[in-house]
Amino acid sequence: MSNMHEIKERIKSVSDIKKITNAMYLISSSKLKKARKDLDATEPYFDKLLYAMRSILSRVPDEADELVFFDRRTHIPPENRSKLLIVITADKGMCGAYNHNVIEKAESMISKTGMNYLSVMGQVGRMYFQRHDKKENVTLDKSFFYTTQNPTLYRARSIAEEIMERFQKGEVDDVYVVYTDMKSSSEFEVRVQQILPLDVTHFVKSDKDITKHHEAEFYPNIEAVMRHLIPNFMKGLIYGAMVESFCSEQQARMSAMDSATTSAKDMLHTLSLQYNRARQAAITQEITEICSGSEAQSSGGNF
Amino acid sequence: MAKTFHLELLASDRPFYVGECEHLVYPASDGLMGILPGHETLVTVIEPGEIKYKVDGQWRYCAISEGFAEVRSDYVLILGDAIELPDEIDVKRAEEAAERAKELMEQKQGIMQYYHTQAALNRAMNRLKVSRRHNHEI
Repeated sequence: MSNMHEIKERIKSVSDIKKITNAMYLISSSKLKKARKDLDATEPYFDKLLYAMRSILSRVPDEADELVFFDRRTHIPPENRSKLLIVITADKGMCGAYNHNVIEKAESMISKTGMNYLSVMGQVGRMYFQRHDKKENVTLDKSFFYTTQNPTLYRARSIAEEIMERFQKGEVDDVYVVYTDMKSSSEFEVRVQQILPLDVTHFVKSDKDITKHHEAEFYPNIEAVMRHLIPNFMKGLIYGAMVESFCSEQQARMSAMDSATTSAKDMLHTLSLQYNRARQAAITQEITEICSGSEAQSSGGNF
Repeated sequence: MAKTFHLELLASDRPFYVGECEHLVYPASDGLMGILPGHETLVTVIEPGEIKYKVDGQWRYCAISEGFAEVRSDYVLILGDAIELPDEIDVKRAEEAAERAKELMEQKQGIMQYYHTQAALNRAMNRLKVSRRHNHEI
C-alpha cells in the first residue's frame, strides 16, 4: 500500500514541475519573439553604422591623435596592459549549458591572457565570479550592475559611456566582451570580441569589405563627426552583444524547458503505469485475501 | 517628375523611411542644411531638431534627436537615435521630461550628469517644438 502512496506523491510532484517548466517554456518563447523583433528592428541601423564607420575611416588618413579610441597604445608591452573583460550571462539559471559555456570561456580568457578587470552582466555570472574572486589579480567590478533582461539602448549607452571613460583615463587598455552568438535557432557560439581600442578590421570578414570611397568633406569637422559617431558605434556594439545574448538565453531556456517538459511527460507515463500495476497488485492481493478468508470460513465450519 | 535621390532615414529602433526624395532639410550644428540631388559628398553631425523631406511634391516632417548624415550625390543616409512623426510625439511625456530635466539642472551634479540632463532637456524641448508647430497647422 505504501508503494502506491509513494508513487502517487511522485506523480503529483512531477506533474507540478511539469506545469512550471511548461510555463517557463511559454514565457521564454514569447520573450524570444520580442527579442528577435528588437534585433531585427535595430539591425539595419547597426549595419549602416558599421558601414558608415568603415567608409569614414577609410577616408581619414592618419589623424590618430584625435581618434582617441583607435589608439592601440603600442608603447605598452603586452604583459603590462590592463585588460577589461565584460561577460554577459543570464540573470537566472534553467537554461541548459548557456551560462556554463559563457563562464567557461571567460575563465579560459582569464587564465590565458590574464585579465585585470572583470565586469559581469547578469546575476548568475556575478555570483559565480564573486565566489571565485580570490585568485590571481582579477578585480571584479562590484558596481557594474546591469541586468541582461530586455536589453535597451539606454542601458547599452550607459555601459558604453562607463567603458569609454575608463579607457580614456588610461585605466584599461584593452576591452573584450564575451557573449553568446545565435548562429541558428539551435546552435549557439560563445564569442569573444575586442571592442576597444576600436579597429574596424575586427568587424569585417575580409579586407575586401573595407571599401575606399572618394574624398568627402566633414562638416563642421572630422573631430565633431567622430565625437558623435564613436559613442554611437560603441553603444551599437554593446547593444548588439546584449541582444544576441538575450536571444540565445531565451532560446536556450526554451529548448531546455521543452526537453524538461517532454521528460516529465515520459516520467508521468512510466509512473502511471507503475501506479496502475501497484494498484492492480493491491486489488489482486485483496481479492486473494477475501477468497482465502471465505474459503477458510466455509471449510472451517466443521470445527 | 522631379529629380530625386535615395534617402534612408534609420532610427536606432526601426527603419523610419527608405525611398526616393526630392529635397531634404535637416538641422546641422550651425543651422539648417538643405540637400538637393547631386550634392557633393559630405559627412555631418545632426543636432536635435526637425527634418523635412519632400516626396512626390509633398513635404513630410519628423523630429530627430541626435544623429549623423552621410551625403552623396545620389544617396543620403541619416542615422538617428530616435526619429518620430509629429503625431507620434507624446506631448505629456515630453513636457514631463522637460520639467524633470529643468529641475535636475538646478541641482548640483557631476559634469557628466549635467551633460546628460542637458541632452535630455534638448530632446524634450525639440519634441515639444516639433509637435506644437504641426498641431497648429491642423
